[in-house]
This record gives sequence, structure tokens and C-alpha cells, in this order.
Amino acid sequence: MALDPNAKAAASGPASGPWRVAWRRLRRNRVALGFLGLLVLIVAFCLAAPLWAAHVARTGPNETHTLEKIQAGGEEREVVNREGKPIGPQWLEAGGRFFLGADGRLGRDEMVRLMYGGRTSLLIGFAAAAITTLLGAILGLLAGYYGGWSDTLISRAMDVVWAFPVALLAIALGLALAVGGLNIGPLHLSSGSIWITILVIGVVYVPYMARPIRGEALALREKEFVEAAEAQGASSPRVMFGELLPNLASTIIVFFALSVANAMLLEALLSFLGVGVQPPNGSWGTMLNGGLDLLTSAPMLTYLPGAMILLTVLAVNVFADGLRDALDPKSKARIEAHSGFTAAEVTEGIAP
Amino acid sequence: MKKLGLVLLVLVLAAGCALGVSACGGSEGKEGGTLTGTYASFPAYLDPSLSYEVEGWTAMYDTYLPLLTLAHENGAEGSKVVPALAESLPKITNGGKTYTLTLRKGLKYSDGTPVKASDFKSSIERVFALGSAGSSFYESIVGAQRFAETKQGDIPGIKTDDKTGRIEIELTAPRGTFTNELAMLYAAVLPSDTPIENMTANPPPATGPYMISKVEPGRSWSYARNPYWAKDNSQIGEVPSGHVDKIEIRVVRNDSTQVNEIERGKADWMQTPISADEYNKVKDKYEGTQFRVERPINIYLFWMNTEKAPFDDLRVRQAVNYAIDPAALERIYAGSLAADHQILPEGMPGHKPFDLYPHDMAKAKQLIKEANPSDRNITVWTDNESPNNEAGAYYEGVLKELGFDAKLKEVNADNYFPIIGNESTPDLDIGWLSFFADYPHPNDFFQLLFAGESIAPTNNTNLSRIDDPKINAKIARLDKEPLGPQQEAEYADLDREIMEQAPVAPYGTNTVSTFVSSAIDLDKVVFNPTFGQDLTSFQFK
Repeated sequence: MALDPNAKAAASGPASGPWRVAWRRLRRNRVALGFLGLLVLIVAFCLAAPLWAAHVARTGPNETHTLEKIQAGGEEREVVNREGKPIGPQWLEAGGRFFLGADGRLGRDEMVRLMYGGRTSLLIGFAAAAITTLLGAILGLLAGYYGGWSDTLISRAMDVVWAFPVALLAIALGLALAVGGLNIGPLHLSSGSIWITILVIGVVYVPYMARPIRGEALALREKEFVEAAEAQGASSPRVMFGELLPNLASTIIVFFALSVANAMLLEALLSFLGVGVQPPNGSWGTMLNGGLDLLTSAPMLTYLPGAMILLTVLAVNVFADGLRDALDPKSKARIEAHSGFTAAEVTEGIAP
Repeated sequence: MKKLGLVLLVLVLAAGCALGVSACGGSEGKEGGTLTGTYASFPAYLDPSLSYEVEGWTAMYDTYLPLLTLAHENGAEGSKVVPALAESLPKITNGGKTYTLTLRKGLKYSDGTPVKASDFKSSIERVFALGSAGSSFYESIVGAQRFAETKQGDIPGIKTDDKTGRIEIELTAPRGTFTNELAMLYAAVLPSDTPIENMTANPPPATGPYMISKVEPGRSWSYARNPYWAKDNSQIGEVPSGHVDKIEIRVVRNDSTQVNEIERGKADWMQTPISADEYNKVKDKYEGTQFRVERPINIYLFWMNTEKAPFDDLRVRQAVNYAIDPAALERIYAGSLAADHQILPEGMPGHKPFDLYPHDMAKAKQLIKEANPSDRNITVWTDNESPNNEAGAYYEGVLKELGFDAKLKEVNADNYFPIIGNESTPDLDIGWLSFFADYPHPNDFFQLLFAGESIAPTNNTNLSRIDDPKINAKIARLDKEPLGPQQEAEYADLDREIMEQAPVAPYGTNTVSTFVSSAIDLDKVVFNPTFGQDLTSFQFK
């Protein structure tokens, strides 16, 4: 789009707020928006699971059809044959039933399992990321603002958790809670609950959020606006959550988005290894595990959940990357290189 | 005329030579060569005193010989106990409490040292000293329990004479299975100075036709012919001498890779059962030429806790038996399962086919309606290995169809048995179990799975917690009697009596397979139902 040479002179009115500026930056990043669209599509696909299950597939995600026969393509077909081979994709030949085939020797509808599995994987991804963000932000703020022994205590605790490879720590915690569940004070979670998986993933990633937040909080603590607030008698919580937190919001938002991707990948790993989501609940990770037994005879059972994990994590990561570019003022050089306008012109709203 | 006679003579001679050549070559197979085999995992132990799994038993069946062994035959013939290092089967006297055997003369270990009668005593003491899982089979020997507790002194119930080769074993009570237990690998005779430690990395000298010549723990091991077998030990006619000169076993974790290697001739044999994914493809392509289905002695079943509602009600247990459809489980096990609805499987002495509960979902639902159990919350336990977890999921579906609120609980396979065998584990309602015979004697199944005295707070094997005095008495009585036709008939009756109580819902026996390369003569390969493939039977075409 050509730049109006008179637009600069004509520009008048108040300067745009930071969020508006960020939105403009993001709008210009078509790749990020494209992948956001893909993510929305995937979420919508998963949310539509009950509709598809009830009206098209006419089966639930855990219902077995080992001995059932269906009418498809004008003939009767076994959902699982005597040799244990599940039926392949029927597409619309059976009225939408077994659209992607059966998921294995239990004869469950693969499409329904994929959609419901996605709901579980997305729920775990977002919920675990929320826990990571909440705990990480609070601990980072506390450590960065107070400093001293608070910082030492929190930082060393984070170091201990950080010392363990994330995957190994999550596997160990998952195994430990697999049989007896979690019983801490008022918190009671049965061993099959997906909230155990959510908590495990949420907790192991806390140091990855807390440390950068702490670093930023340490830097912001020395700024004049913090001194001013303290001089005016603002309490510590007021300063932390009223002054520091808004300035950390963009960092937190970006880290949250990235955490979603990490959480989904870790859930897939844990479920694949059998210490994440427990049957009969399904997730893309458990489906990967199940598909492995039939890798030679029915490879789609592995490729499909794998592809969903790949696309979702890619979409989240690319969008998060775009979000960081939009929210991070230090990225103006990149904006100028990509758009041909100066960062100020974008900020002023002169550039479309 | 003279010319005709000469021609005829030449023809006869030529025919004779042809016959001679074919007798020496083709159908008899080739002697010698190196057999290459693969395992999916390295055996837990290559020490006969410690090995408790089939992988190890297959590896050492032809290397370490006890006083007795199981016949190197297929099928039911392979369940017969025959003499190995002993001259003959034991003489049993003193009301079944004294077993007397004589060691064959002139036997040697693979390092040249003579085999002595006292080596048997020290070998059994080694089993206890190591705290081996096998020690439970020999606790009935006089003084064994004390030795197990103190690890001091010796086991006075075993008396030996190195001069005559006489071995006398005194039991605290008659034990009908003791002859079988003398044929277990735990009772293999080792030199008296074998260290009391796990010798997997450096296995002891052998008495069998093969010795383990090299071990790379976790990766591979090799066999060579026992140099003292041909001259000194081959008098043991019941143990074949073997055809190949060397055997090399590698660990190849992926079973698809193992299949591929056999197809390409890079390996001659795979010990690992073929996965369900490839089973039918391999079977269709190679059955009869390189592939054969084998039936080890085992039973797959669902146990039901008879002490807890709703399975304290016989009608509910019978309903579960009626509800299970073998056709569904056949598919879940990808065709490798042989449906069976009783405790003693085919190949086990005492097996007499019957089916008290042919699949009938309508009847099952009727029984549930009559029983009307108030507690319908059920936890279904299974391990996480396919297809056992799928069998559990199927079972969960069946229970839901019967009107129960069933929840599947999958446990890591390594921890499954300790968890379900621990009475403090909550919600032990119903679950999956597979049981492979330690030896081909019915008591091995009944004692562990159904005797009231087997109920234990930890490592419990009687998971249905059945404690019926009549059944207990019959198991105890038959345990004392040596196995004969009458005992086999009584065990068949016991099978039926227990199934009338329906504490378990057996659904089949799992088969395994023998898959060899095209260079191996499949017809010659022997599969012993307890020990697996017999390495002495492998022969190149």
C-alpha cells in the first residue's frame, strides 16, 4: 500500500496506547495471524466433538465395537476382523461413522477419539500453562521485588527443580501419583484424574517462567515509577501488582502462549509413556501410544494424532512468536525491516 | 547278453549311489554351522539359580542340567519328567517324603572338573543363599527353611555320597510336585565353589551340550559346544547333543526389526513373540515353512474378589463368565489367543475340555437381575501392555453392559503384580491376570491361584481370595500324591469344581510362535511347553 506523503503532516490527535500499537503490529504479521486462524480451527474441531459423536458417528469416544459390522459402500464390513485388524477410513461411505476408521482392536471410532482427545490435550495444555504462569509470575515477582533472603529462597528452590530434566521430573511425578492419586490437605485427586497430569506439567515448568519474570522485576524495581509509588506510601503488594505487574504483562502473555505449546508436548510424551492421561480418557498422546502397536498395518492411527500435535504446537509457537514481536518494543528494527515504515509511523497509526 | 548284464549292473550301482548321496545329504540336514538368534531384551539372569522368566529358561535349558529335566519334545510329550544328570527317576519312599537318586558316573563340567553328588546339595543351598525366587519350591526339604533364615550351616535334609553318587532328599511332608521341581532350572547342578552372587556376566561351567562362552551383558551372548559333552556327558540319552556348533544371540529391541532380519536371513531365529501388528502377515506368508504356532502352558483370565461385593455373589461371578465373548477377545489378541473357559489349559496334565459358561449375554443379564447387587462401582485392573490393556478395556465395556459402573485402571506392567497382590491397595475388585506354568503339573496352578493358604497380605497369588475348605482339602491331598492317571482325572474334576464356583473368568491361552529363517529346518525345531525352543533341535537345511 503506498504511503500518503501528506499523512505525516495530517497526523494529529493523541498518541496510541501500547496495546493498540501492539495490535497494529500483530495485524501486520500475516503469518502469525494465519497460524492463529489454524489454532482457532483446531480448537473448533475439538469443541465440535459432542456434535459429531452424537449426530454423525453415533458413538462415544470409549465405546467399543469389536464385534460390530457396519454397512458401508453397499457391503457389510467388520469393524475389527478376526485377525484383529481394524477397519480403515470409511469417509462418508458409512454415513460418517468410522470416518477415519477404527482406532485398533477395540474398534473405537478414530475420528471421535481424535476430537475428544484434542479436547483433553488442549485443556491440559492451557490449564497447565495457566498454572505455570500463575505460580511463575507470583514467585518471580516476589523474588524480584523483595530480593534478599526471599529471592535466595525462591531462586534456590527453582534451581533445584530446574536441575532435573523436565521430562524426567514429570515422568517421576506422574509415576508416583499414578496409583494412589494426590492427597494434600483439602486437595484430593484420584489417580485417573487428568488434573494430576495438569498439575504435574504446570509445576515442572514454573522455573522457566519464574526466572525471567524475576529478572525483569529486578530491573523494574529500580525504576523511578516504583520509587515514586513507594514514596507515596504504597504497600508492597500494591507496588508489585499495581505497578510492576502491568509492566510485565506483555512478557507474561508471551510466556503463557509458549507454555501452552510446551505443556502440550510434555502431555503427549507423558501419555505416550503411560504416565500422563489414564485410560479410558484419551488424548493425542495416548492415541500415539495405542497406534504404535499397529504401526505396520494401520499407520494412520499414529500419523493422525501426531499430525494434530504437530500442527497445534506449530500454530501456538508461531502465533506466540508473532505476539512477542508485537508486544516487545525492542523488536522495532524488525518491524521497520519487514514493513518499510518506521516504528514510529506504525505507532502513530500512519502506516496501515 | 553280457553287455545287457553290464548295463544293468551299472544302472543298479548308479541307483545305489544316488540313494546313498541323498541319505547323507538333503533330508537329514546339515551338521554344524553357527545359529544366530535375537531376543528383544537381555534375560534378567543367565544364572540358573536365579532365572525366573521364560527368556532365561530358554537360554539355559541346554546348558545347565538338573538331576531331572523335561523331555526335549513338542507338546504333551515335552511335559514328561526324564532323567538328566541322574541315572533314573527318583525312588520315592517313606510315604512320599524321601527321594533317592544316583548321579551318573563320569560326568564333567565344561571346564573339565568332575560333577559330584555334593554339588547338588551346594547348588540347592546356593538358591537359598541368593534369596532366589526359586527357593520357595525347595522349602519342604528338611532344614531348608532354617537355612533360608540363617544362611548358616547347611541343609541337613540333603544327604550325598560323592563315592557312590547317591543323593537322598528328605522332605518335611509328602509333595506330589517335587519331581517336577527337581527338573526346574533352579535345581541345575553347579560346581560347589560357584560364588554366591549373580553370575550372569560370567556364567558358571555347563553340564549340557552347549556352554555359554561369552557374555556382553545387555547386548549379546554366545554358546559353544561343551568340550566334555561328547565324551563324558552324552551318556544322557534324554538330552540331544545339538546340531549346530555355535550359537550367537543378540538383543534387538524392536520385534519388527527382528522379523525383518529373519526374512533377510541376517538372523536364524527370534525368541521374541511376533507383535500383534505383524503376526498375521508373517503367519500368512510363512506358516508351514518358517513359521509355526506353539502353545506354552498358560492361562489368561479375569479374577474376581470373592470377599467383596458384588463378586461375593456367585450369580454375579457366573454372569461375568457368561458375558465374556471369546470372539471379541480373539480379535483383541489378533488371532494369537486360543479360547478356553477353564483353568487347566491344553498341554497341562489333567486337562479335560469343558465349558460351563458358553457366551450368553441374555443369561448373564438375567443372573445380574436376580442377584441385584447394590454395589455397582467396580474398578477393573490391568497392566499397560497391549493387548492386555485392551482386554481390560473390553472387560470394562462388558461390565458396563451388565449394568455396573466400571472404571478401568491401567498400571505399569513392571509394578502390576506387586500392586494387585498387595491387600492394602484399595478397590481390588476385578482384574486381568496371565499365568504361565512353572512346571507342567496342575498343582502349580491350583495351589497358587485357588488354595486358601496362598492368600497373603503381599505378593498374593490367590487374587480372587477364594478359601473353600473342600477345594483346599482336595488341593492339599493331591499335592501329596505323585501324578498319575488317577490324579490327572481328579485334577480334571477339580478344574470343574472350581469353575462351578467361578472365582475367575478364564478366557484363553496365548500362543507364541516359532519363526525361523529359510536356512533352518522348521520341522526339526522342538518347542518345549515350559522351556520354549530347544536350541539342540535347530538344524540347518
